[in-house]
Amino acid sequence: MTQATPDTKDTKDTKDTQDAGRAGAPDSASSIYDLGYRRYEGERLGRRHAISALYVESLRGAFGLGRSAGAKVAPAVLIGIALFPAVVQLLIGALVPGDAELILASEYYGIITYVLALYAAAVAPDIAGRDQRNRSLTLYFSRAISRTDYALGKLGAMVTAMLMITLLPQVLLFVGNALSTQDFGGYLAEEWDLVAPIIGSAVLGSLLIASIGVLVAAQMPHRAFATVGIIVAFILPVVIAGIMVNEIDTAATRYAIFLSPLDLVEGATAWIFRVEPDAFATPGRAGHALWLYAVASVAWTAVASALLVRRYRTVQA
Amino acid sequence: MSIFQTHELTKRYPGVDALDHLNIEVEAGVVGLVGANGAGKSTLIKILLGLVPATSGSASVLGYDIATRGTELRQHVGYMPEHDCLPLDMNATEFVSHMAQISGLPRTASRERAAETLRHAGLFEERYRAMAGYSTGMRQRAKLAQALVHDPEIVFLDEPTNGLDPAGRDEMLDLIARTGRGLGISIVMATHLLGEIERVCDQLIVIDAGRLMHYGSLSEFTAATQTLEVEVTSEADALALRLQQHGIPCAADGRRVLIATEGAPPFDLIRDSVVDLGMGLVRVQQRRHSLEDLFRAESIAASAALVEPGETSAREAGMAR
Repeated sequence: MTQATPDTKDTKDTKDTQDAGRAGAPDSASSIYDLGYRRYEGERLGRRHAISALYVESLRGAFGLGRSAGAKVAPAVLIGIALFPAVVQLLIGALVPGDAELILASEYYGIITYVLALYAAAVAPDIAGRDQRNRSLTLYFSRAISRTDYALGKLGAMVTAMLMITLLPQVLLFVGNALSTQDFGGYLAEEWDLVAPIIGSAVLGSLLIASIGVLVAAQMPHRAFATVGIIVAFILPVVIAGIMVNEIDTAATRYAIFLSPLDLVEGATAWIFRVEPDAFATPGRAGHALWLYAVASVAWTAVASALLVRRYRTVQA
Repeated sequence: MSIFQTHELTKRYPGVDALDHLNIEVEAGVVGLVGANGAGKSTLIKILLGLVPATSGSASVLGYDIATRGTELRQHVGYMPEHDCLPLDMNATEFVSHMAQISGLPRTASRERAAETLRHAGLFEERYRAMAGYSTGMRQRAKLAQALVHDPEIVFLDEPTNGLDPAGRDEMLDLIARTGRGLGISIVMATHLLGEIERVCDQLIVIDAGRLMHYGSLSEFTAATQTLEVEVTSEADALALRLQQHGIPCAADGRRVLIATEGAPPFDLIRDSVVDLGMGLVRVQQRRHSLEDLFRAESIAASAALVEPGETSAREAGMAR
């Protein structure tokens, strides 16, 4: 580290002021004593470093790391809920002999759909709305980071946070299923081609939910509003698509499913795994080509990300 | 070397010109930016930092054009906003160290410098506590620390003593003076309190309604003028008349007479005239400019009338605009 050495002149100056300060206000308990501010001549790593620092700190904040205990509760509980089916599978695999593949990777999002929405609602307001609530956006935008960098750093943090609840349980599930077959090596060799779809579906779903979640949170700095807003943004379309597809059920109304991010995740996952979606779930009943769900997911992600960047480019700092 | 300069810098908000064709080139040092509320101080700072785009005109800070090289520039500037801006659920060490990283400093260096800077700002053990429990004074110190942590070459402070009690205000001003003079960091401090400028700054920018009223060194500004002020115990009109009869240019102002002097002041004549008129003499003194003159139109008018044509006073320069 090429740290600057203290400038002798500066040290002398500060000492003088210190003495003067003591002499001037001997009784003040809150006097400022200067114990050596030094000039910095080390390296400055610029934008890229700033973005990664923003990313890491946002992610830490999302899980309440470096914050009070209370801030850790909600994300921990939701990750626990998301992991629960996978953990049960693991336990059964460990205790019950014989093949007991209860949950397939391709069906997982169908099971935890609402948990995904709740988790996004708990985490996104911390990642995206927090700096606006604290009015600290100014401090970021007056530093070595552009507004677009900031938006992308926040989006990256949110996507990673989503992977904690999409990819992590899938990995556990994969291992659990492998263990429950009694032939770990054989399962791995046989099911190795599931790894790419598992990662692919997790990334696709995380991107979609993260971009929409962060976008809503960035519009609503107030935490409670953002939480409700995100839940509404995900659950309301599920209800509407459900009615339009399952109840009204005409060729035109079936397109309503493309407005529902959670149904798109389920449909796109089925496409990625090359399986048929649950015939009773909305994606199964809508009857569109499955690849359309994947395309729609990517399109919504792009739109939400663009709107997010636009939001931070114009928001008052 | 100039720390920043602007060329025809203009910012229009709907219905109001926050900055109106501002041209200025400011030298390194501790610079007071003074003006009434709404004069455009914060707007100028925000434009220079790239937080707000200018409507027209250009500006550069530390030689970087704000429009094209803003990101590079902002590694080298610090900013302490007027408003609250601290994440209260974090402790000061974590926060300031994080801000150092956002300014581009490596992780280890950020931690070391966060500790040093917080000590410089007067936060010791409390820097490990959540900032929610801080007093206003401690919060202002944390705000100052985040502005200094990356060792900027220039720091913009927007009303740094806002909300502080008199003791806290004194300490903050000492700290600013020490940072500016002791460490050689240029400081631009926006305030509407003239006393603060007189204590801390060596240069002064005065803006009003988005226009430059005055820029110059503080010493030039508070230098003795060629005006003699005579205060008497009753209305001074008669005295002024008497002095004018002796060919001395002067003007009455309530119980005072302001006399433009050239060479030796006519002390004897003043004394005799006061005695003849049956007045009591309170004081005779060489007049100094005070910052308040800038904001007292009457006194400016009175003095300007008395100033000799050849004299270039800072105030006159300000009035000419």
